[in-house]
Amino acid sequence: MSSVTVTEAPTGQELLLSTSPHLHSRWTTKQLMWFVVLALVPCVISSVVYFGFYQLVIITTAVVFAAGTEALIQYLTKKPVTISDGSAVITGLLLGLIVPPYFSPAFTALGAVFAIAVGKMVFGGLGYNIFNPALVGRAFLQAAFPVAITTWTIPQFAVDAVSKATPLAAFKFDNVVTPLTPLVVGNVGGSLGETSAIAVLIGGIFLLVTGVANWRIPAAMIVGMLLFGGVLWLLDPAAPDPVFHIFAGSFLFAAMFMASDYVSSPVTGTGMWIYGLGISLVTVLIRVYGGLPEGVMYSILFMNAFVPLINRYTQPKLFGEGKA
Amino acid sequence: MSKKQVSLFNDYTKGVWDQNPVFKQVLGMCPALAVTVSAMNGIAMALATTFVLVFSSFIISLIRKLIPSQVRIASYIVVIATFVTIVDLVMRAQFPELSKELGPYIPLIVVNCLILGRQEAFSSKNNPFRSVLDALGMGTGFLIALASLGAIRELFGSRSILGVQLLPDAFEPWLIMILPAGAFLTLGLMMGGLNAMILRRKRREEADILSKHIPKTYVAASEGQEV
Amino acid sequence: MKTIIAMLVTLTIIGVVSGGGLAMISGWAAPLIAANKKAATERAIFLVQPEAKQYEAVAEVPYELYRVLDEGGQPTGYSFPWEGNGFQGNIRMMIGLTPDLATITAIEVLEQVETPGLGTMILEDPFRGQFNGLKTEPQVDWVKGAPPTKENEVQTITGATISSKAIVDIVNDGLARLRTDLAQGGDK
Repeated sequence: MSSVTVTEAPTGQELLLSTSPHLHSRWTTKQLMWFVVLALVPCVISSVVYFGFYQLVIITTAVVFAAGTEALIQYLTKKPVTISDGSAVITGLLLGLIVPPYFSPAFTALGAVFAIAVGKMVFGGLGYNIFNPALVGRAFLQAAFPVAITTWTIPQFAVDAVSKATPLAAFKFDNVVTPLTPLVVGNVGGSLGETSAIAVLIGGIFLLVTGVANWRIPAAMIVGMLLFGGVLWLLDPAAPDPVFHIFAGSFLFAAMFMASDYVSSPVTGTGMWIYGLGISLVTVLIRVYGGLPEGVMYSILFMNAFVPLINRYTQPKLFGEGKA
Repeated sequence: MSKKQVSLFNDYTKGVWDQNPVFKQVLGMCPALAVTVSAMNGIAMALATTFVLVFSSFIISLIRKLIPSQVRIASYIVVIATFVTIVDLVMRAQFPELSKELGPYIPLIVVNCLILGRQEAFSSKNNPFRSVLDALGMGTGFLIALASLGAIRELFGSRSILGVQLLPDAFEPWLIMILPAGAFLTLGLMMGGLNAMILRRKRREEADILSKHIPKTYVAASEGQEV
Repeated sequence: MKTIIAMLVTLTIIGVVSGGGLAMISGWAAPLIAANKKAATERAIFLVQPEAKQYEAVAEVPYELYRVLDEGGQPTGYSFPWEGNGFQGNIRMMIGLTPDLATITAIEVLEQVETPGLGTMILEDPFRGQFNGLKTEPQVDWVKGAPPTKENEVQTITGATISSKAIVDIVNDGLARLRTDLAQGGDK
């Protein structure tokens, strides 16, 4: 939350990264973080509605282990314990929402520990991590337990179980196009929190209206998806259409809650556009040409790596500054 | 021990820890990362490398004064490549299974910077006895590093160490550990952990020295201020 | 000039000594390596033809093909290595067939670089065992997510569909080649 307020930087060190003004922010870091938690509630509800109450066990496990790991590491390294800032809770919540229904709580716990320990604390804690910690945890789980993490359970009231796969996997491996309506309401296979576009949008719009999330990154991702997905679709009608791209898989969820993570996204307006467009491009390429059905996770991690570079090249020039 | 003995002893031990090829010099990364999916592979690789290192060091140290400096690198490489080819042939003849496991990484020992580096840095300047001690030390350090990397990756990735199952069937193997990503993660975390340990020890030693030289009252006053 | 001669002489001597030493070692190792290779091939031939007692190479085709025989010297089928693309690299396998090529006796993967723990399930029995006694007419087919219903079908591995399909493709490819070559009368 370096880019929002300096006075609350958890380690007490100065973290000022951006030259753009931040003073207009109405909220403190703590408030911002709990707003994000609030915005994720609709997704938690949709996961319970579609996949049953057991999913709360998974989500709770992720939250408890994420926050616990952070507290434990901070205690062991004799740093101030900052779990009340809510950032570890968010990481846990996000991780819990991007695993498949009925995913093993033991694996979830491991993913949460990894997300915080390796994705965040190794880099120095909040504000220093290059990659989105929740996605680091998810990527670890993907590589460690590839079978478990691609074992999907169909929603409770799926009318026709086309297959047990997600819409993207159904498209990739069996050429089955899932209609738009179930994609929007969320009555399809997929990770806990990502299936229902309605729930994602409720939370997302709340974040945008309160100004907690910057609108540019989600906007850039959606524009990018329409653009790149559209071009590929026009070139090859067998490729999925851009609207399917947007509503299928974890694209919307990632646009609202993952890509806009303060720490691992660019700080300048132009940078945010480059970042969002880049995520869409890589996602489309993985989905259409790659071996995996879904590519949002890897594309965000990929673009995370470019954030320092993007920040550097999109930095506004100071008045009176000569050639940089 | 006499001064000379100390220095000979140091020729051997420096490679084991203070200048550990993998953890300290960050040399020989390719085999360290690529073959350490199991402890056995790590040990076999390290032994093969040590064999090449010891014999190359010995030969090169013997002929060090005869080689014109312009062609020394070429000479080193020919000598090293000869021993690598010997290892490769022997392994394919006697240990076909292991040779298949390690695959192209045995011939690739030729380009392991560790070996060429020791020739250039040590064998070309020291007598054969010391060169062999140096090579054995580096080999031991390499063995420790590869065996521990391999053991950790095998334990979490296949539930066993040296083929002996140690974790129960209920433990789901973390496949990432036997994938390349697991090699980078394990090595990074091990290096980080070791450095943290060394740093802590150094701080404690510094504190000890300070407490001996600074009056006790001053130390007491400054305690509890900084961690 | 003097240094150039010294350089030439040094490198020549080192090269000759190395080459000579290697030639000696190679002279010792080459037969052993060849024997290892032959033993590995033999083991694979009999692995996919458990009933067979002896084998002979078939010379009429431009690739490795072995006819396996029972104790009395009667042909009981074929074993042959074939390879193709897997998920990440080459897969080389031994395929065992009955003399009429209509049934697979067994398959054995010899070399592969599939994803550990996932693609490598092609080496294990739930998948590999499906090929024992599998019919090959008109070709081997795969089904996904459900047990096979026909005699020429195998079920792909969940999460390793590409590796599973690769095996089926290699089998079909080898079979097609073998059928044409044997039908041309080279060997019957």
